[in-house]
Amino acid sequence: MEMSPRQAVTLNALALYGISAVLLVAFYWQLAYDELPCPLCLLQRVAFAALAVGPILTIRHGPSPHHLGLVVLAAVLGGLISGRQVLLHILPGDAGFGSALLGLHFYSWAFVAFAGALVAAGMMLVFFPPKAGEGKPPATGFIEHAAVWLVMALVALNALSVLLECGFSACPANPVQYQLLGG
Amino acid sequence: MEFFIAFINFGLAMWLAWRGGPRPAVLVFFVGLAYTLALYLRHATDALPLSF
Repeated sequence: MEMSPRQAVTLNALALYGISAVLLVAFYWQLAYDELPCPLCLLQRVAFAALAVGPILTIRHGPSPHHLGLVVLAAVLGGLISGRQVLLHILPGDAGFGSALLGLHFYSWAFVAFAGALVAAGMMLVFFPPKAGEGKPPATGFIEHAAVWLVMALVALNALSVLLECGFSACPANPVQYQLLGG
Repeated sequence: MEFFIAFINFGLAMWLAWRGGPRPAVLVFFVGLAYTLALYLRHATDALPLSF
């Protein structure tokens, strides 16, 4: 089976929209319900940001197994972090941290998402293995450019948000107010 | 501040992936990965060497 570089780029743009959707939902919950993310929650957002680097490289420079390798590494890191938080709240009677969405807490959804990314990268490597340095990257359009800029804007907003939340010192384990806003 | 640095790091990796060459982007990605792993060890438990 073969996937054209154009199809691979489109697929990677869709992956970026997926990552943006995750960051947007997390942001919405933070702002609408005033639920400040804990350190492990923030680390999961960081891992989602890391997950976006591979697809951006594919969109810009064409498909390569190296880019899928970056996705695998980011997904393993994210799975490690979200898995740790799942284990922290796995005992019967533990209410978990923060709100639940469709019956699962956000860190459980994050674990599912990172596992999904790992499976997707594995499937790509097995069934549609890209060759390194396949030549010129395919032409990209508005859809791909918008996907890249959206995810970069969301990461920049997350950087600003975490600065407001934690200030210039270490982040508290259970943050209840924005340190730089004083309440 | 620690998480701000992590976000800026991967933001830079994205920017380099988009505007620069793949090599600097990958380098910054790995720096971010190591830094995030250190942050994880610091926050995941208080029984690991980097925790305080």
